[in-house]
Amino acid sequence: MPRPALVDATVWRLAWRNVGRHPRRTAIVLVAIAVGIWGVFLTMALNFAMVFQMVETAISTDLGHLQVHAAGFDRSPGLEHRIPDGEAWGERHLDDLPGVRAWAARVRGDGLVYSPRASVGVRVLGVDPERESGVSRVSGSLVEGSYLDGGRGRVLIGEALAKRLSLGLGGKLVLSVQDVDGEMTGEAYRVGGLFRTSWSEIDRGVVFLRLDEGQRLFGLGSAVSELVVVAEERDRVEGLRDTIETRLGDGLEVQTWKELQPLLDYMVSAFDQSAWWVYAAVFIAMAFGIANVLLMAVYERIREIGVIMAVGMRPSRLVAMILAESLLLAAIGLGLGLGAAFATTAALSDGVDLSHFAEGLNAYGIGTRLVPVIRSQDVTTPLAVALVTAVLASLWPALHAVRIRPADAVRRV
Amino acid sequence: MAILEAKGVTRVYETRGVETRALRGVDLAVEAGEFTALAGPSGSGKTTLLNVFGALDEPTEGSVFLDGEDLSSLSPAELAARRLHKLGFIFQAYNLIPVLSARENVEFVMELQGVAPAERRERALAVLAEVGLGELAEKRPTEMSGGQQQRVAVARAIVSRPKVVLADEPTANLDSKTASQLLDLMEQLNRDHGITFLFSTHDPLVIDKARRRVRLHDGRVVSDERA
Repeated sequence: MPRPALVDATVWRLAWRNVGRHPRRTAIVLVAIAVGIWGVFLTMALNFAMVFQMVETAISTDLGHLQVHAAGFDRSPGLEHRIPDGEAWGERHLDDLPGVRAWAARVRGDGLVYSPRASVGVRVLGVDPERESGVSRVSGSLVEGSYLDGGRGRVLIGEALAKRLSLGLGGKLVLSVQDVDGEMTGEAYRVGGLFRTSWSEIDRGVVFLRLDEGQRLFGLGSAVSELVVVAEERDRVEGLRDTIETRLGDGLEVQTWKELQPLLDYMVSAFDQSAWWVYAAVFIAMAFGIANVLLMAVYERIREIGVIMAVGMRPSRLVAMILAESLLLAAIGLGLGLGAAFATTAALSDGVDLSHFAEGLNAYGIGTRLVPVIRSQDVTTPLAVALVTAVLASLWPALHAVRIRPADAVRRV
Repeated sequence: MAILEAKGVTRVYETRGVETRALRGVDLAVEAGEFTALAGPSGSGKTTLLNVFGALDEPTEGSVFLDGEDLSSLSPAELAARRLHKLGFIFQAYNLIPVLSARENVEFVMELQGVAPAERRERALAVLAEVGLGELAEKRPTEMSGGQQQRVAVARAIVSRPKVVLADEPTANLDSKTASQLLDLMEQLNRDHGITFLFSTHDPLVIDKARRRVRLHDGRVVSDERA
C-alpha cells in the first residue's frame, strides 16, 4: 500500500525548493503573513489584557471568586437576606477548607453620606480589615491614612468620593442608612483613609467601615450579608463551589463570580469568540495571498507539472506537493509573525501607558498600564486557523494542477 | 507479443467548436526491442500517437495496449503507475525539473518508485556516467548546455529500466553533431539493454538511424518500412 502522499519526503523536498525558487515573491507573501499575524496577535494580547483587568479588578475589589449568601439575596440583595452568625459559620466551614486561599465576612447596604458641603448615595461595606485584605486589594490601594485600623469611628473612602464630598483625611461625615427593621438611622465618622483603585465605581461610591460597626449601624447583631471566598486557583472555582455547596445548611447559597456577574463572564467568552472572527478575517486575506502565489507558481510551472506527471507522479502526490508548499509558506510566515509578536510583548512587559485615557478606562475597572496578556489559545488558535487556511488556499491551485493534461503541458512554451 | 499496440485509434480535438482529427483509425504494433521512428510532416499526428502510447492522452475511439494491457480501463493513478514503471519519456524541450540537479533529476523517477536512497544514488551516477555526464552530476539544468540537458533527460528516461522509451522530437533543439552523438547513445542503449525506442521526428538523422520507419500523413499510417 502506498504511503500517504503528504508524508513523502520527495513531495516536501520539491515543495521546499519550489518555495525558494522566487525568493522575492516568497519574501513578500511571508512578510504579509507575518505582519498580519503580528498585528492580530498584539491587538488580541492588548484587548485581552483589558478584559482580563476588568475581571481581575471586579474579583479583587468586590466579587472574590465565590460568595455565600442567604438564599434569595441574589434576587433581592437587601438586609432581609442575611447569614446569622456569619463569621462563626465561616470559621467552621471555610478556615480549613482545601482550595480556599482567603475568606471574609461583609455587611452590605446602601446609604447616604453627608459632609458639610454635599451628600452622595453610596454603598456601605462593613469589613473585617484583617480578613478583607486577603480577599480585596483595596487595602493595598491606600493613598493617604490607614486601612480601618486607626480606631473606631473611622471610615475608608475613595479619593474620588472625598473630592465629591469636599473632604480630606480626618474630615467628618455622617452616614445615614435604613436598618434591618426599616428604621432610618445614622452615625458620624471621620475619614481614616483614602484609596484609589482602577475601578471608579468603587472609588466614587463605596464607604468601608469596620464589620462590627457596620453590624451595629444596620442593627444586624452577629449576622452578615455575605462571605467572600478567594480560591487558591481560579481554574478550580467551580469545584470549590461544589464542595462548599455540600457544607451549606438550609437557607444558604453559594455562587461563583460568573454567576454573580454574568456580564463579565459573557465579555470573556464574547472576546474569545470575536478572536476567532478576527483571526478568520486576517487568515482569509492571507489565504488569498498564498493562493495567488501558488496559482502563479502553477501557471508558470505547467510544463514542469506535465513532466512530473508524465514520468509517473500520482495525482495525489501532485496535490500534496502544492499543499506542502502552502503549508510551508503559512508555517514560515506564522513563525516569523509569532516570533515578532513575542519579541514585542516581551518589550512591552512593563505595560503600555494609557494614563491619557485613565478616566474612561477606570469606569470599566481597567488600569492605566496595560500589560499584554498571552494565553495558550492565542498561539494554538492562529496555528489551527493557519493550518486550515493553508489547506484551503492550496485547493484551488492543486485542483487546477491535477486537471492539466500532461500531453498539453509538456509542450507548453 | 507487441509491447505497444494501437487498434483503430482516433483522436479528435475540439477547440472553440472546431474539430481537428489528429489520428484517424490508426493500427500499429511495436515489438519489444525495436528502434522505431514515427515520421511525417507537422500535423501528421506523430506526437499525438506518441502521447496516446505514453498514456499522456486518451484516444477518442479505439484501444491502446501497453505490454498487453488495455490502457482505457485504467484510472489516472493506475496510468501514472504504468508510466512510472514501464515507460520512459524524452521531450523535445528537455523538460528537466529546474530546482533539482542532474543527479536528482535522474533519481526522481526512482524516488517515485520507492527505491532506497543509496541504491538510487548509485544507479543515477552510473547512468549519468554512461551518458557521459559523470562530472556534471551536481549541476542544475540552467548550468548545462542543451545537449547536456537532453543527455540528462535520456538518463532519466532509462534509469529505471523501462520497457519502452518514448522520445518526442529529441533532436529538434540540438545541433547536428550533438544530435548524432545522442542518437548513437540511444542506439547503444537499445542494443545493450534491449530497451524499445519509439521516436516521433521529422529529423532525417533520426529517420536514417531508425531500423523501422512508420510514416504518418493526416492522422493515418501511410507507410511502414523496416531497414
